[in-house]
Amino acid sequence: MKNRIKVYRAMHDLTQEGLANELGVTRQTILAIEKGKYDPSLELAFKIARFFGVAIEEIFLYGDATERK
Amino acid sequence: MKRNTFYLLAGIVALAEVGIFWLSVELERPILIQVAFVLGVLLLYAARRAVEERIEDERTAMITQKAALRTLEVFWVAFFAISLGSAVVAFSRPLGLRPPHPGPPGTAPPDVLELPFIGGFALFQMALLCLMIFLYVGFRMYYARKYGEWDTDEEQD
Repeated sequence: MKNRIKVYRAMHDLTQEGLANELGVTRQTILAIEKGKYDPSLELAFKIARFFGVAIEEIFLYGDATERK
Repeated sequence: MKRNTFYLLAGIVALAEVGIFWLSVELERPILIQVAFVLGVLLLYAARRAVEERIEDERTAMITQKAALRTLEVFWVAFFAISLGSAVVAFSRPLGLRPPHPGPPGTAPPDVLELPFIGGFALFQMALLCLMIFLYVGFRMYYARKYGEWDTDEEQD
């Protein structure tokens, strides 16, 4: 699943380490999600979206939404 | 405690266990290594909890679960196959202890299965345990790689 975490991180001037600390996960997990190697749990996905203050669909692009964006 | 300190401690504990195992064999006291092993595990468990940096989360938990499940799936087949072979060996000859008396002079002792030598049995168990550990480490590495454990990016040193 594609996502725009890297973009939102850049917008908030956050490193992967910083975001990982905020969310209570390891930096490797943020890296794996960004690279599309790991799809986060629903809980973590919502946590990420809430942290950036946007809807979950703004961060994670599922199925057809990937092509539209 | 830093994560690397924990890994260093784990290495020291492993070396100490090898030394205590040797000492245990020399002194012929199995309780020594058994107690040392349990204490070592408890020490590492406590040290792991004292690590300040986060080393576990939902992704690592998933990797561990997948590796453990695959290990179990493969190991039980290997274990069952080996056990079946052992059962065939066991049932191929009459079971029982060799009689205390060798019998009348000039007669061959009855062909019975010797009770397994306990040290040999222990080594056999250790070999199976090693197989399980190797399987687990192999699967752990496979899934860790699959889910980006060792990936690097521009932020990494």
